[in-house]
Amino acid sequence: MSQANVHSNGQLPPQPERATLEGRNKITGFWLFLGGETVLFGTLFGAYFTLRNQTLNGPTPQELFELPLIALATLILLTSSLFSVFAVQAMHRNDLGKTRMWLGLTVLLGLSFLALEIYEFVHYVSLGHKFHSSAFGSSFYALVGFHGAHVAFGIGWLTLIFLQLKRKGLTTVTAPKVYLASLYWHYVDVIWVFIFSLVYLLGKVAG
Amino acid sequence: MANAHAVKRYRGIMDWLTTVDHKKIGKLYFGAGAFFFLLGGIEALLMRIQLMYPMFDFVSGQTFNELLTMHGTTMIFLAAMPLVFGFMNAVVPLQIGARDVAFPFANALGFWTFFFGGLLLNLSWFTGGAPDVGWTAYVPLATEPYSTRGVDYYSIGLQIAGIGTLLNGINFLATIINMRAPGMSFMRMPLFTWTTFVTSALILFAFPAFGIGIMLLTFDRLFNANFFDIAMGGNAVLWQHIFWIFGHPEVYILILPAFGIISEVVSTFSRKRLFGYSSMVFATALIGFLGFMVWAHHMFTVGLGPVANALFGVATMLIAIPTGIKVFNWIFTMWGGKIRFTTAMTFAAAFIPSFVMGGVTGVMLAVPPADFQYHDTYFVVGHFHYTIVGGVVFGLLAGTFYWWPKMFGKKLNEKLGQITFWTFFVGFHLTFFIQHFLGLWGMPRRVYTYLEGQGWDLPNYVSTIGAFLMAISTVVLLINVVITTIKGEKAEADPWDGRTLEWSIASPPPEYNFKQIPLVRGLDAFWKEKMEGKKEMTPAEPLQPIHMPGPSILPFMMSLGLFILGYGIIYHRYEFDNAFLGMLFNSKFVAILGAVIFFGCMALRSLFDDPGYHIEVEELQEKEVRA
Amino acid sequence: MDQTNGQTAQNKIKRAPVHEGPRNHLITFALSLLLTFLAFMAAANQSLSTGFVIFLLVAMAFSQAIMQLAYWMHLKDKGHFYPRLFLTIGGIVAFLCFIAAIYWMWW
Repeated sequence: MSQANVHSNGQLPPQPERATLEGRNKITGFWLFLGGETVLFGTLFGAYFTLRNQTLNGPTPQELFELPLIALATLILLTSSLFSVFAVQAMHRNDLGKTRMWLGLTVLLGLSFLALEIYEFVHYVSLGHKFHSSAFGSSFYALVGFHGAHVAFGIGWLTLIFLQLKRKGLTTVTAPKVYLASLYWHYVDVIWVFIFSLVYLLGKVAG
Repeated sequence: MANAHAVKRYRGIMDWLTTVDHKKIGKLYFGAGAFFFLLGGIEALLMRIQLMYPMFDFVSGQTFNELLTMHGTTMIFLAAMPLVFGFMNAVVPLQIGARDVAFPFANALGFWTFFFGGLLLNLSWFTGGAPDVGWTAYVPLATEPYSTRGVDYYSIGLQIAGIGTLLNGINFLATIINMRAPGMSFMRMPLFTWTTFVTSALILFAFPAFGIGIMLLTFDRLFNANFFDIAMGGNAVLWQHIFWIFGHPEVYILILPAFGIISEVVSTFSRKRLFGYSSMVFATALIGFLGFMVWAHHMFTVGLGPVANALFGVATMLIAIPTGIKVFNWIFTMWGGKIRFTTAMTFAAAFIPSFVMGGVTGVMLAVPPADFQYHDTYFVVGHFHYTIVGGVVFGLLAGTFYWWPKMFGKKLNEKLGQITFWTFFVGFHLTFFIQHFLGLWGMPRRVYTYLEGQGWDLPNYVSTIGAFLMAISTVVLLINVVITTIKGEKAEADPWDGRTLEWSIASPPPEYNFKQIPLVRGLDAFWKEKMEGKKEMTPAEPLQPIHMPGPSILPFMMSLGLFILGYGIIYHRYEFDNAFLGMLFNSKFVAILGAVIFFGCMALRSLFDDPGYHIEVEELQEKEVRA
Repeated sequence: MDQTNGQTAQNKIKRAPVHEGPRNHLITFALSLLLTFLAFMAAANQSLSTGFVIFLLVAMAFSQAIMQLAYWMHLKDKGHFYPRLFLTIGGIVAFLCFIAAIYWMWW
């Protein structure tokens, strides 16, 4: 066994997430999963673009969307994505404390994004824009809500890693987990780029 | 030894529930797939009996609709795909010289989600009727007022099964990308591994679209959404697009592995290297690519307009080119070869003309103006059964006879195999050839009966006789399996004088597959060594302890959680007579319970790492001596 | 055994600089902020033509996404052939969904 999982001397190999075959498999497999996720969101975008003008008597995108709120949500998610980069960088420096700190901050920002989104949805519902009020409503909440569900899952995932890192430390087993969760979080942010551009801003311009 | 843990080893049923060994999971897939294959076959037989005579009264129209929906859905999602996955699991890691797949745990999870999804779907028979809207579940027929609750079982059951399929696609891609033995470059991979690779990519990109499609359908049916509700601004064509963006790749997901099996069998039993190997690889990739570009040929009559129809018609015809390359390569492989007509080879040889006929009618259907005539007639039924039975099932049967010794360690009886072949071959053509003409004579598909005197009576009768022949063939195969299991002789490691790596190790292989990972020096790696007078592969590593993943019950529990969650969602607003049941379901308790089990098990998996266990060198040598 | 099992030339990881600094990531963050800001400005600006704004929004969304994929998710690094390949194919299939939604859904 050339590679033991736990490095008793506290030394991690460079790029610890790729030090074992398991780690490399996970990274390859996770990227493949992200390729599939692209189709998943592509289909939801397709449904939204088909139905976005079907507002019936409800409010139109132009009337609904409030850009300052969206700008704030975008800023929060973008910053959290940067923080998860810092987490991976701290991991590469074998700095357990900093890794956990940046992961924790990422979770906090994720939570505030989610809170903003929930506020936004509640607000829309009060304006008569509901999941079942029109085809536009259904497709909007399906797309944006699905992204929100991804954020929620990511928060749970990052929290689990944040917790287990304290017990397990940085090893060639935990390093791929940090790396994957960070990839996931970036991907969720990349999807949000398309949502704020193509759903909110485009809805404001060409509702 | 860094981490030698005493790991709990299970026996009996617990072994099967907790296994993460790809060979055992392959057998589970194979067994479950065979069970659903029989179920789908019985459904087909019942339908053929109903259509045997005009105005026959064997089953009601409603039952017929349920039978036809469940036949299609079962055969595609619960029979053909799991059987394909069975072979992939049993063979692909061996063919690339790996000890397991990339994600053994996810592999088990994939099987159990498929199993529970299929179980959920089939339980609809006992709870007020199976889905009755065709396997395509077109809206608005599939939305609330027009169909039974069976459609909820369809959308949720396939959603759960689809998770497993997606996991498997990712698993095999990662396995093939990362875990090939030293020297096994992409262009030295056996063709079955190649088709598995392309098939897995198709799964990866097609199933998410379907997942979203049935999620939207569930939302419409159970949560008052309006995706497909015209009155609320929804769009029925949206469903068709989503379904067929998934659905067309799906049929290539079925046929490509069959192509791979046929390539292996033809090459082995002709004692020749596969003719035009690199063009075969190219054709496989091209078919996979084109598979995504042709979905709207299922929608010619919807009214997309002449430009779209022409575009998709031409794209569809293009697929004939790579397929033709494959057909010619198989023929040239046989040409001048020392052919041995074992049962596997007979099926492979019969596959070629049968599948070509399905391909030719496919090109006919690709011509939009002609398609307007064929649309929704038995011509289409004839066409796709020629591709799926004449193609996929022939391929699967060839693979069954070819890989049975490797999977189960015993050779199937060849005499009974020949009976299986001839009854199936004759029965298949008898059933489906005449259906092309039935279609041309105007008989619509998916009808539960017809009036006499339209010239359809005799053809339908003939078709039903053929179906019975196929049933006999299946029974003979089952008898063969039972006889072989009870008193078949133990198969040697290389019963067919094989060419690829799986034949270089014992039948059935030990749990770690390769004592030492082999060094691959060319295409048909094992054949190359044999031609140089060697009996086994040159090892690429010293003999050393082998690390194995530990067994786990979590995949089973996670799938059970999804199953409970699915039930909770289907009945979350159903009005029960029983107050207690009503409270459990309507308060969403059942759904939440299922979700908690699922996510809880997921968290457990994350928090407690699997240390696995090691097989020591002494143990490896001991096994060697005994074998 | 972990090391020897099935390594091929394609997936041997070239050793990246051990401690890559935060510079590239901060630049990516700044550019992302800039693109986001421009996108919001373009949407709020009433004087631009709708078609041009749509083009701008799509172009800037793709630029920002590709930049984050390349730097934050390391797609630019060596050893990422398969991630790039499969993400591209996924993107193409997702694009097909757009095409269907825009051209072949209503008439």
